[in-house]
Amino acid sequence: MDEISDAMAAGGEAVIVGRAAGHSRVLGRLEQAAIVAPQLAGLWALNVAGVWAVRKAALPVPGNLVGMLALYGLLALGVVKLAWFEPAGSFLIKHLAFFFVPITVGLMDSGPLLLAHGLAIMVVLAVSAAVGILLAGFVSQWLLTRPRRRRAEP
Amino acid sequence: MTALPGAAVTGLGIAVTIGAYALSLRARKRYPSPLTTPVLFSTAIVVAVLLGSGISFADYGPAKQIMTFLLGPATVALALPLYKNRRVFFRNIVPAGCGLLAGSLGTMIVAGLTARVLGITPLLTSSIAIKSATVPIAVEIAAIIHGAPALTAIFVVMTGMLGASLGPWLMNRLGITHPVSRGLALGTISHGQGTAEAVAEGQLSGAVAGVAMGLGAVCTSLAALYVVPLLAG
Repeated sequence: MDEISDAMAAGGEAVIVGRAAGHSRVLGRLEQAAIVAPQLAGLWALNVAGVWAVRKAALPVPGNLVGMLALYGLLALGVVKLAWFEPAGSFLIKHLAFFFVPITVGLMDSGPLLLAHGLAIMVVLAVSAAVGILLAGFVSQWLLTRPRRRRAEP
Repeated sequence: MTALPGAAVTGLGIAVTIGAYALSLRARKRYPSPLTTPVLFSTAIVVAVLLGSGISFADYGPAKQIMTFLLGPATVALALPLYKNRRVFFRNIVPAGCGLLAGSLGTMIVAGLTARVLGITPLLTSSIAIKSATVPIAVEIAAIIHGAPALTAIFVVMTGMLGASLGPWLMNRLGITHPVSRGLALGTISHGQGTAEAVAEGQLSGAVAGVAMGLGAVCTSLAALYVVPLLAG
């Protein structure tokens, strides 16, 4: 009998815990949205500012790049904190690839062009990637391991 | 399909794109390979569905507009890993800075020259020379230097795949062993995909790659203004 009531009590507890968890999950989602929305707005505003500055100054550089550098500058100056952008920023970066898809779908209009030059394109991509990797790798490694500056890495 | 109103086509376009992306994440988990790279895999599915249902890229335009709304903010967010990992980079500023310049300028010049030698059109040459900058920045550079953004996007993704899959092998072969150098090379040339590979190699490589990806894009966008017109002729 005791065993049964224990089990029932335990079961009841589990139901309550389960309900509480479900409840807090809903609240958690809302809370998350309340945190993420202003963060997205902040990142969006920086992007708009970057695009605007580039247009205003007639600079031939991407506005989003200027927005990125602006955010870096604000972080470095201590005007804004890393934590202010945290869940939203990581989420966007994690799924960055998603935003590329609508752009690359544009390839459906350039199929013949790609087919005509397919082999040459692959050669260009492979050769230039290999040369770039070797240049970046060798130049930095040579400078890192020069005898007088030999130093253990952190 | 022409009977469908614009809003329905847009809704369908968005649903198909999100579905294809979700599917690609699963595919990559189960069958990790360059072919299951999310961008490539999703693009193939979306293009197949659009062609199959007679929807043109122009019809897909509004859906594209809606979905790429967050691309700008996402690009700005790239400052976060840049800032988080800045110390490792600045501690090695001379070697890392020189390697970064050599790599991003070198790959641009070699791509442009090879393209010219192989007789590729000026439009393709301009679009391919900037392929080592991360996609959102590369497509903006393409618009500035009169390349084709959609072509640039696919060249960038393919460079990411090539560098991330063949880069470590190449560096093993040729004795590039320093973790800073390996991370730098992967991030500079293969941006996001290279950075993911560098993170898998180790924390130090990953941190350097994250910074190299951001600064490489800066380098490419500035250099492209002067170098690409010479190369594309």
